[in-house]
Amino acid sequence: MLKDITIGQYYEGKSLLHKSDPRMKIIWLIALIVLIFLAQNMYALGFAAISVIIAIVISRVPIKMYLKNMKTILPILLFTAVINLFYGEGEVLFSLFGKINITDGGIYRSVFMALRILLFIFISSVLTYTTTPNDLTDAIESLLSPLKFIGLKSAVHTLAMMMTITLRFIPTLIEEAEKIMNAQKARGADLESGGLTKRVKALIPILVPLLISAVRRSYELAAAMECRCYNGGEGKTRMKKMRLSLIDLFLSLACIIIGAGIITLNILL
Amino acid sequence: MDNIIEIKNATYSYTDEGISHIALNNISLNIKKGSFTVILGHNGSGKSTLAKLLNGLNTPTSGDIIVDGMNTRDEEKELEIKRKVGLVFQNPDNQLIASIVEEDVAFGPENLGLEPEKIRECVDEALKSVGMYEFRKSTPHKLSGGQKQRIAIAGIIAMSPDVLVLDEPTAMLDPKGRAEIISTLHYLNKEKNITVVLITHYMEEAENADRVIVMNDGEIINDGKPEDIFQNVKQLKEVGLDVPQTTELLYALKQKGFKVNTKALSIEDTAKEIAKALK
Amino acid sequence: MSVLEIKSLTHSYTDGSPFINDAVSDVSFSVEKGEIIGIIGHTGSGKSTLVQHLNGLLKPTSGEILFESENIWQKPKEIRKIRSKVGLVFQYPEYQLFEETVFADIAFGPKNMGLSGDELTRQVEEICRLIGIKEEYYSKSPFDLSGGEKRRVAIAGVMAMKPEVIIFDEPTAGLDPKGREEITEIIKAYRESTGATVIIISHSMEDMAEIADKILVMNKGKLEMFDETDKVFSNGAHLKEIGLNVPTVTKVFEKLYDMGIDVEKDVFTVNKAVEILTELKGRDNNA
Repeated sequence: MLKDITIGQYYEGKSLLHKSDPRMKIIWLIALIVLIFLAQNMYALGFAAISVIIAIVISRVPIKMYLKNMKTILPILLFTAVINLFYGEGEVLFSLFGKINITDGGIYRSVFMALRILLFIFISSVLTYTTTPNDLTDAIESLLSPLKFIGLKSAVHTLAMMMTITLRFIPTLIEEAEKIMNAQKARGADLESGGLTKRVKALIPILVPLLISAVRRSYELAAAMECRCYNGGEGKTRMKKMRLSLIDLFLSLACIIIGAGIITLNILL
Repeated sequence: MDNIIEIKNATYSYTDEGISHIALNNISLNIKKGSFTVILGHNGSGKSTLAKLLNGLNTPTSGDIIVDGMNTRDEEKELEIKRKVGLVFQNPDNQLIASIVEEDVAFGPENLGLEPEKIRECVDEALKSVGMYEFRKSTPHKLSGGQKQRIAIAGIIAMSPDVLVLDEPTAMLDPKGRAEIISTLHYLNKEKNITVVLITHYMEEAENADRVIVMNDGEIINDGKPEDIFQNVKQLKEVGLDVPQTTELLYALKQKGFKVNTKALSIEDTAKEIAKALK
Repeated sequence: MSVLEIKSLTHSYTDGSPFINDAVSDVSFSVEKGEIIGIIGHTGSGKSTLVQHLNGLLKPTSGEILFESENIWQKPKEIRKIRSKVGLVFQYPEYQLFEETVFADIAFGPKNMGLSGDELTRQVEEICRLIGIKEEYYSKSPFDLSGGEKRRVAIAGVMAMKPEVIIFDEPTAGLDPKGREEITEIIKAYRESTGATVIIISHSMEDMAEIADKILVMNKGKLEMFDETDKVFSNGAHLKEIGLNVPTVTKVFEKLYDMGIDVEKDVFTVNKAVEILTELKGRDNNA
């Protein structure tokens, strides 16, 4: 169950999207998310959906990978769909228990909202699958760099470093949590039954060792970083220079077209 | 040969809950440039403390550590000393900073402020020298322990150090991983002319070293060539260490009246010694 | 009587997991009461997956595990009971310590089994005495102990449930020679006093040669060999084929054999080697 988490998973590839500037990718992502939420009718959202599908196709990441993400968000998706089912106006198609009316408007709304969330998840996955976690943090650091002028230079660097380390240690700690869980189960710990208080109490034998191990790891990591001449980011350079290229210009243009399309469809229909 | 590291009367003590402990007691030792030195000792013998003194991660309570003419107490030389003497630890998981192999290896050179093209060069060369170049785009947590540790070594090699100090780098690895690390270290020592200081409690890893130092209770109790050190079976066992099984066998045979030279270490030489004694 | 019987055990992982998992396919063997079994194989050969089935931490995809002739999954709700009968000590068990005192940590297992009061105290004390955890340690925090001591306490935590079968996944990993010897002594002491069956996963062929009655070799999720220790090690060529090693002494004997000296290749401890060579020398001298 813990293994299903796919945060910050990079999928190696050589597609246009892999090659484009991570800073631009973040900007496009934000723009597309805003656009998806701006889409007011099915036509506009449908247009957005086609754009997302195109993005998925040019990312050249197997569709299987995107569908895998679906599994984790399925409950949220279903919940949204079901809730929205009840909030609709229009022709009553049928009634549940003679009380709750399901209308065509409700169904429309339900599909619309679910699709919106789905697109949101897919387009975000396009970013994380095509960008290494490090590129992502570098890009965020670079995008936030204007803050340096108001005296937040080290804060920006620290934030980026924290993100890098977090992304690096998520899989390690998940694996460790599973190991500890199994070890305590082997000592007869009961993690699956009982009421809420009992279950929360049952977590102590897992959380305490996990926390202690995280602290130990952080000490060792700090020493290792010092041994690699880490100096709080003073005078640090980058192996990978972020450079805008023709690809970025081309993809930015595509984003503008998508934006124009959605807004036009919003107004026209 | 020149000395790359000189340890002069180094003592290291620390206080824990009001009680003072001496981890290293007045150690003097020179490490020759280009040599392969193994430091043996049980857990708590002071060998890890010594490792942390060599690159200035800690400074001795008294005495001095001189790296290529620079005292580790000199704060202005701090980064240069850390670059010259790279330190690799036991758990590879806790040394890797980035989620992509090549980006992790780049961390050191980036901190040194090298030009991007130069960093790329250092990273590629370091990964090739530990045989992990083809994994440069992988993510560390999908690799084996031995591979991760080789990446940790590459992360140090990318800073072009003179000395590589490794604190029990194989303790958490399986036999395959251990063999990978040991052969990588001998390669780096011979082909890249890097001075290696390997701290371990696996005797077999000392077999091909130029020099073996045995530590116990914060002191050096023996220092010499591996085949000579292992002659002292009794002393090694007394300080909680072992000898390679080949030495143990020859030693036991000698006591039974076999005329064998107990200095043989490899399997081949051991078999030859036994065959000779049987004739 | 067989204490454990494994019948065509298969375990496949659903793919897509980001971790390296080792599957097990069609493994069958049985373990007699009181035996010491060594399991050897590469990282990823299925050893760890295999042993996690023996105490019901993993459920087989197909096949059965019988403990004292009863299928452990007969009543899935009671699977926890099997964990006190088949104890499993994981790799680096010291990372599972969590209680405020050594005593409380060791008592965690038996408490989960329903013991309390005097009975609990007695059982914990008994194990501590057996494996040499002194009384003055009871009230110490486990986190103040040295690495070797922590491991001893963690092992005691499993032994305190008094399992009839106890499994160790690389019990000596990361320890120095003295620490390794101490852990081996603990395992021997537990077995002698309880008559328990012991299963040990290890990479050290030398250690296995010293302690195991039988060796089980895993390769790529399959059971490659399961036989008496000397028989397995006399099959050095086969072991090497699948990338495993034989004890150093055995290698020396293989060399001697190749040199045309009249020795068998199934020698795997120093004591045995000395015995054989002394005899051989005596014979030559008399001839």
